[in-house]
Amino acid sequence: MAFDPQTAHSIATAKVFMVGAGGIGCELLKNLLLTGFRDIQLIDLDTIEVSNLNRQFLFRSEHVGKPKAEIAAQSGLELCPEAKITFYHESVIQAKFNVKFFSQFDLVLNALDNAAARSHVNRMCLAADRPLIESGSSGYLGNCKAIFKGKTECFDCQPPAPQKTFPGCTIRNTPSEPIHCIVWAKHLFNQLFGEADPDQDVSPNTADPSLLVDGQNGTGHHNGAPHQNGSSPTGIASTVAISTREQAVSCGYNAITLFEKLFRDDIAYLLSMEKLWEKRRKPVVLDVQAILREPQAILQEPQPLDSDRSNGDGGSTAGDHEDKRVWGIGENARVFIRSVRGLKASLEKLGNLVWDKDDEVAMDFVTAVANLRSSCFGIATLSRYDIKQMAGNIIAAVASTNAIVAGFIICNAVQVLRGNQSGCYNIITRMFRDAVPATAPKRRIRTTGVSRLDVPRPGCVSCSERVEIGIKLRIASITVKEFEEKVVKGYLKMSAPDVELDDASGKIIISSDDAGEGKNRDKPLAFFGIQDGTRLKCEDSLLDDYEVTVTLHNDDHLAEDTLFLPLDAHVEGELAQPTVEPFEQAKGIKRKLEEEILTPGMSGNKRVALLASNSDAASEPNGNGNGLSEDVIDMSHRF
Amino acid sequence: MSLALNRLSEERKAWRKDHPFGFVAKPSENTDGTANMWIWDCVIPGPKDSLWENGCFPLKMLFREDFPGTAPKCRFEPPLFHPNIYPSGTVCLSILDDDKGWRSGITVKEILLGIQDLLIHPNERDPAQAEAYNIYVRSRDEYERRIKEQTKRFTPQTPKT
Repeated sequence: MAFDPQTAHSIATAKVFMVGAGGIGCELLKNLLLTGFRDIQLIDLDTIEVSNLNRQFLFRSEHVGKPKAEIAAQSGLELCPEAKITFYHESVIQAKFNVKFFSQFDLVLNALDNAAARSHVNRMCLAADRPLIESGSSGYLGNCKAIFKGKTECFDCQPPAPQKTFPGCTIRNTPSEPIHCIVWAKHLFNQLFGEADPDQDVSPNTADPSLLVDGQNGTGHHNGAPHQNGSSPTGIASTVAISTREQAVSCGYNAITLFEKLFRDDIAYLLSMEKLWEKRRKPVVLDVQAILREPQAILQEPQPLDSDRSNGDGGSTAGDHEDKRVWGIGENARVFIRSVRGLKASLEKLGNLVWDKDDEVAMDFVTAVANLRSSCFGIATLSRYDIKQMAGNIIAAVASTNAIVAGFIICNAVQVLRGNQSGCYNIITRMFRDAVPATAPKRRIRTTGVSRLDVPRPGCVSCSERVEIGIKLRIASITVKEFEEKVVKGYLKMSAPDVELDDASGKIIISSDDAGEGKNRDKPLAFFGIQDGTRLKCEDSLLDDYEVTVTLHNDDHLAEDTLFLPLDAHVEGELAQPTVEPFEQAKGIKRKLEEEILTPGMSGNKRVALLASNSDAASEPNGNGNGLSEDVIDMSHRF
Repeated sequence: MSLALNRLSEERKAWRKDHPFGFVAKPSENTDGTANMWIWDCVIPGPKDSLWENGCFPLKMLFREDFPGTAPKCRFEPPLFHPNIYPSGTVCLSILDDDKGWRSGITVKEILLGIQDLLIHPNERDPAQAEAYNIYVRSRDEYERRIKEQTKRFTPQTPKT
């Protein structure tokens, strides 16, 4: 690439921070070096897995198990020995990567795979007022855009698409699709072997099933397990539930007992709730003894390989065919028994387990359980391969999408360094499966659309203007009480303040609810995990619109008699210093916001250009834009 | 500060300004004395002129990171005898179901009022616990006796004067 000398110089001297060294990250690091970037810091908390190797080309098989950040940096240096590459093998969501840290860069580049980290880096860049290039890919979909504080839409301007969840009633009582049984199987795994979430309870009811028989107080028991009786001495059954976990422990994780509870007793219990089945197909109970007496099911022919569903995350192996075969009910039962034993052993050895699609035994368990439950409810059973895809929310990674996205990151990055913000675009790349017209042979057409960056959403919690101040104090010694009295009430003039940590913890340090009564008010801020660089959101609960975000800077060298010192703009150039009192400033912002909201013509995602990158695909399918502007808004949150 | 926390802090403010009589809703307390915005401690009073009257029923509201995209989990602690409350205490109610009635605009106040209403209007079509459900459909007398007994257990003792 040839740049004018000035651009080439800005590129060569730019200091960039790359967050993520995975699918997009590998492409990006290579692109950065080839474009002429020479001062790069990168961070990734992952280690290299075999399944990464097909597209994360900076890694080789001998690197499996090693940190992505380290190997990416090493491979980058081989490509370009004169570059300066610093790497961090850790999470970016840490107090040490604070506003000061982010402020040292000219540009931050996201190559992440999760919304939490994206949102965090977004907020750090906003706080440090550094341009951020955000990107993501999901299968054939790819997206890249630039974020300039206060000028263009930030990552949090659009609400995230909620994760697909299923109603508890459907999962527990009335599944109708394979996915319902798969979700249930994962919940069961957590109940039995992991950190149990009471809201993922898998049982219709765990009270004594004999209640069903006579509708009265339980007197019966089953399986000889020492169940806690659901009755109280007064003859009134309490609703104290016995968890699935307790039942499993009480029977020593006996696989047959568990099978009978899950696929016989619990199903029978559901059947007793007749209303449920008035308009639904009734489930059937499974008889484990009868199933096991049946001869081993004859191995079925492997399912034909679905070439469209080639797994992007790992190549074909000999086990593939076996993995794609649907097991018979006897096999499911045997795998259930075997995996329960295996998991019980791991549980005893390692303590609570965490479900992982790549753990063979855990995956066997979920496959067998999902299929057995499906059998009860007359739902189609699936192969282990299919269940793994669904249980692991696997979307095949597509190397070409990553490459295209990484290319556009560079385009945007170069514009940023040229100081040409209007030259930055929101780019979306996607694949159409079907050609137009419908009669034409099917083929894939990749199209890439470019649109102007949107303006920020007024009132966005992350990027709308608010009062930010910095304060120096001794975090290890100043108490919550002193902070409240002197800083929040004294300096910020709040009469009934609420003070929250400005992170994802949802921790409220000072609550106006229990003024003065809160415990530990004589403990120092450090006691609550507050450290240098921590941001606190302070709000006056008596006023609607007075909110100040305070960044704490630890300073152990403050004069003895000085409790705190508002940060001076001359001392700490990065942070906004209120030229007027914080209170006045907040009022001013509110006025300004009101004016902005009332100003028409603020929004509008103007599409300025559409490029078809596939030459043999006529421009036909792209001509109408295909609702591109909506996609652009949705996409960045979907990856 | 995430979207969820921002909304929760709005909810908190709105609640403090105005909330229905007898109800409680506030962030729970962490062990270190700070409050936790993700889990709220609530109390729902039994509706007036019903078998539930004078009862105070404690409930936990658990918010997730993608709130208000998803509904909070609402769980009576301890669990209650009621056809639409799971044995774990979790409330089964359409407005708390992401696929049915949940909308991001539903407020904490509306949720609590909705649950209060569910107490006296069980939904036969969506049973969540067999015990209460079976008694409810088989013998209304027995059901009412059980509710009365439960309300008594949840009625705070008024200090003798």
